[in-house]
Amino acid sequence: MIVEIGHYALVLALALAIVQGVAPLVGALRRDAALMAMAQPAAVMQFLLIGVSFAALTHAYVTSDFSVVNVFENSHSLKPLIYKYSGVWGNHEGSMLLWVLILALFGATVALFSRGMPDDLRALVLAVQSWLSAAFLLFVLLTSNPFARMIPAPIEGRDLNPLLQDPGLAIHPPLLYVGYVGFSITFSFAAAALISGRIDAAWARYVRPWTLIAWIFLTLGIAMGSYWAYYTLGWGGFWFWDPVENASLMPWLAGTALLHSAAVMEKRDALKIWTIFLAILAFSLSLLGTFLVRSGVLTSVHSFATDPQRGVFILGILIFFIGGSLALFALRASALKPGGIFAPVSREGALVLNNLLLTTSCATVFVGTLYPLALEAMTDEKISVGAPFFNLTFGPLFIPIVLAMPIGQMLAWKRGDLYGAAQRLTLACAIGFVGAVLLYAMRGGPIVPPVLAGLALYLIVGSFVEIWGRVSGGSSVGAMFSRAIGLPRSAWGTAIAHAGIGLTLFGLAATGWGVERIVTVKPNQPVVAGPYEIIVRGLEPRDGSNFRELVAHTDILEGGRLIATMDPSRRSFTTRTMVRTEAGIKTIGLGQVYMNIAEVRDDGSLDLRLYWKPYVALIWLGALVMALGGLLSLSDRRLRIGIAKRAATRVVAQPAE
Amino acid sequence: MTRKGRRLTLIASALAVIGAAIGLALFAFRDGVVFFVTPTELAAKTAEMRPNARMRIGGLVQPGSVSKSDDRHVAFAITDNQTEVKVTYAGLLPDLFREGQGVVAEGQLVNGVFRADSVLAKHDENYMPREVADSLKKQGVWNDGKK
Amino acid sequence: MIWAAFALMTGAVVLAVLWPLGRARTAAARAPDVSFYRSQIEEIDRDLALGLLTQADADVAKAEAGRRLLRVSDEPIADGKSRGGARMAAVAALIAIPAVSLTLYLALGHPDLADLPLSTRVAERQGQSEVQSAVRKIEDHLAANPNDGRGWDILGPVYMKMGRYEDAARAFGNANRVLGDTPERLTAQGEALVYAAQEAVTPQAQEIFNKVLDMQPGHPVAYFYLALAREQSGDRAGAIEAYSQLAQGTPPDAPWQPVVRARIVALGGTPPAAQEGPKGETADAVRAMPSDEQRAMIRTMVDGLAARLDADGRDVEGWLRLLRSYKVLQENDLAKAALVKARNALNADPDGLSRVNALADELGLKS
Repeated sequence: MIVEIGHYALVLALALAIVQGVAPLVGALRRDAALMAMAQPAAVMQFLLIGVSFAALTHAYVTSDFSVVNVFENSHSLKPLIYKYSGVWGNHEGSMLLWVLILALFGATVALFSRGMPDDLRALVLAVQSWLSAAFLLFVLLTSNPFARMIPAPIEGRDLNPLLQDPGLAIHPPLLYVGYVGFSITFSFAAAALISGRIDAAWARYVRPWTLIAWIFLTLGIAMGSYWAYYTLGWGGFWFWDPVENASLMPWLAGTALLHSAAVMEKRDALKIWTIFLAILAFSLSLLGTFLVRSGVLTSVHSFATDPQRGVFILGILIFFIGGSLALFALRASALKPGGIFAPVSREGALVLNNLLLTTSCATVFVGTLYPLALEAMTDEKISVGAPFFNLTFGPLFIPIVLAMPIGQMLAWKRGDLYGAAQRLTLACAIGFVGAVLLYAMRGGPIVPPVLAGLALYLIVGSFVEIWGRVSGGSSVGAMFSRAIGLPRSAWGTAIAHAGIGLTLFGLAATGWGVERIVTVKPNQPVVAGPYEIIVRGLEPRDGSNFRELVAHTDILEGGRLIATMDPSRRSFTTRTMVRTEAGIKTIGLGQVYMNIAEVRDDGSLDLRLYWKPYVALIWLGALVMALGGLLSLSDRRLRIGIAKRAATRVVAQPAE
Repeated sequence: MTRKGRRLTLIASALAVIGAAIGLALFAFRDGVVFFVTPTELAAKTAEMRPNARMRIGGLVQPGSVSKSDDRHVAFAITDNQTEVKVTYAGLLPDLFREGQGVVAEGQLVNGVFRADSVLAKHDENYMPREVADSLKKQGVWNDGKK
Repeated sequence: MIWAAFALMTGAVVLAVLWPLGRARTAAARAPDVSFYRSQIEEIDRDLALGLLTQADADVAKAEAGRRLLRVSDEPIADGKSRGGARMAAVAALIAIPAVSLTLYLALGHPDLADLPLSTRVAERQGQSEVQSAVRKIEDHLAANPNDGRGWDILGPVYMKMGRYEDAARAFGNANRVLGDTPERLTAQGEALVYAAQEAVTPQAQEIFNKVLDMQPGHPVAYFYLALAREQSGDRAGAIEAYSQLAQGTPPDAPWQPVVRARIVALGGTPPAAQEGPKGETADAVRAMPSDEQRAMIRTMVDGLAARLDADGRDVEGWLRLLRSYKVLQENDLAKAALVKARNALNADPDGLSRVNALADELGLKS
């Protein structure tokens, strides 16, 4: 009964979504307050219904109800409990259910936390969001129904793909989805602004927190996904320029551009057309990613069983929403009043440059990802565009972004002083340069890693120069401290997020100093990797709940002294007859020793992949720091002022949170 | 600066960035793009290819063709059931490398033997590198399971 | 019970939608914009006090924000009137929500199906876990004694039943290696390979079926799969010819006849007339087989199909084939049981269900 209640809740959510898509829209156009007000309870209710549905499916997974086809195909009674939970979204149907759940979550959040927003804008945003929900609910129900039943029910399931039985998978897709789907709300805001024709600085303020939330989660999701690939795929790579990864990078780039152009729009009422366009673009790229992954146009670890019918459906959704919004866009764009003016050298100018570079680099990724598909469709010739292409195009475009970041922070709005900004950055430049030279002298090797590392140091230091400039005027340490506290949190957020990019860049640069060894060893035979000696002490077979594994107990020695141990293993999953290697990873300082057993030979010797990767942890730590910066910006008082003001005028006081 | 002048600055810088991006992309396409061929196409096209061109070949691992030596050199043959190509590879094979299964090797053709520097195997029972699946499907060797 | 839950949910949803309609409200749509621009001006003052702005810049910025403030203040405010729209919306919601959700749910859902968590299926599960532990034991034993051919021979069909086709193929292969090839085991191995490849007759499987034909010319199962291989490789004419040979060469009441004829029709050929007497190499071979051996072979094929459908029953063609085969074998009880299973399994597939029912009528299976 629970399964069927979940199914019914999903259908009911669709019916509700249709009502929610129509009534508030009509209300906003006819200025009917009562109709507009329908949007809020409907959005919350919609989220509850999809929540019930998701809970029902989860319940079916946890209780191993194999009468549900989706559970049968992706679960196993012996699967560890955590993967029974994560298995819910470790497959196509369940992940699409999660997708609509998050879609509805954003709708509900807007409904609940948007008191400081005009009623008509809120009603329109929720209506558009509900159109999205309705489209995807229809997609789930008609092409990917997770509640399809099967009688007689098999007694055992087919198990989840072992590559996906991993804690990383338990959190990576939800994070990424919150990011992807988060841009749906900025899209809804853009569409709402276009429908109502009210596109102004206030709009930019309302949309900013939502853009930030989406961006934070997308950042975390991408980082998490890259770390997951790093430790499960077993060859120590963390970014493959795989089309699916590109599909998540493109909305990130567009979203980052949006974040910056929305700041200009909010402060200066300029770049309005461009900002709206970016809001549409960011979500369009999210949708495109979904289409590419789910249609079977691309095959990768991420594409579950694919089906052309689904691809066509998503393509339809894609065309409807992107086409519709662009048509609205074309209709309204010409009617916009020009906003504030600014000189080329100014904060705005720097942000325009940032946007230009970000969208161009996004375009190169787009070309690299889709060119092979287009070429094949037209000439039947198959090519793959690999890492060299992306490194050669994306890299050179990203370097000027890095160079310009601290300068942009330093420039004033309207008209900036480039010479003064450069002067204040002397220290950062010097540190970057000296750092690069020192690293080159110490590490040797090719010139690129030290140069990138120098650039990263420049960025990290440069990000804080502006804050230091504001703080250092204090007469005492105490005064400086209170000044630092008094700075807007968004200023801190900017500096910290930029520094995060510097950290990631440093980690990427340091991959050039890594050591890779591919060796065949017998137990107790030491191998040197970088500054460490690695010794496999012995092999031990172990039984897991749904797999068997052979564990290699391994010691890591530095200068003859034992500093750490790790237990890489090879797992064989019986139900799917698959072998998966479980890499041994030990973080030492900011670097990692990475070991993978490629093969166990009959004579007991092992084929190993061994890596020493200095500073590699910075790649993901940098992403965490970026997200932290975003979080700080999000907590900035300015973003909450609308809420507080409005609350003060109400009888029941809202906490000014 | 006038409004017109600012607009010109903006357009000029946009064009400069986009121009640079296009230049980079074209340049990178020379080295970053790898053609995918089946063993049969490889045999047919050998003559017209640039010497040492990098490419990917895909097909099934010919059963019984895999031989490993102690120093981790592997030799095997990739087949599309019409033509087979001998492949040598120095390194560790992926977990899912099996005889009779789909595989993609990337490298160069040297004296009639394909010297691979990377070998990818299918990820699970439903996954086959798409290029392989397509070319095998054309020959009816493999199907989706749905009729 | 379940309908009560549905009714409750629907009611809650309708109420949630209607609730705001019943409340009178006055909309002050522009108030938040005004407060935004006010706060922007306050912010400029604060920045000025902190020394982040010069007085001149602050004045300009304030003037700019002030202009925007004036602009939004001038705009008309939405009125909260026009109750007619609300009434219409209320009626629409009241009708549309239950109508849409019930129609769609009745088309998609299975309100009569209870949950079936594994914990309620103790009896079934016991059997299963016994099989599983037995399999594990045999696996362990074979890991230590890989040359125990009988062990592999036992494990093969069990794997087949469990749907572990790749393992089954490996087990049959090992049994053949140790015990020597027999047509039956080779056929089983080939079939396992075909299932493992999602019904594609792989080159490896073809090789095996060819071997079977070398040992026993005209072996119908091997013959069938080789014909299927031709079909899959796009050789239509060749496939039709091979199928026709099989159809003609074997007794007209052989269980594969319907399947083979269906394949011929699907390929656009005309199946040979049924009354034609058997001829050709295949027919000779099959006729040469003792009739119980023929029957046994047929049974293995049909059992394999039945086991596969038990594990995953969404294959309509499979069910149709199975029903026909049972009918031909004159196993009316089994046919009826299979019909019940098929109806259950195809519950979610109305199209397939109607095809199965149509065939049941045609075959005279009343239930």
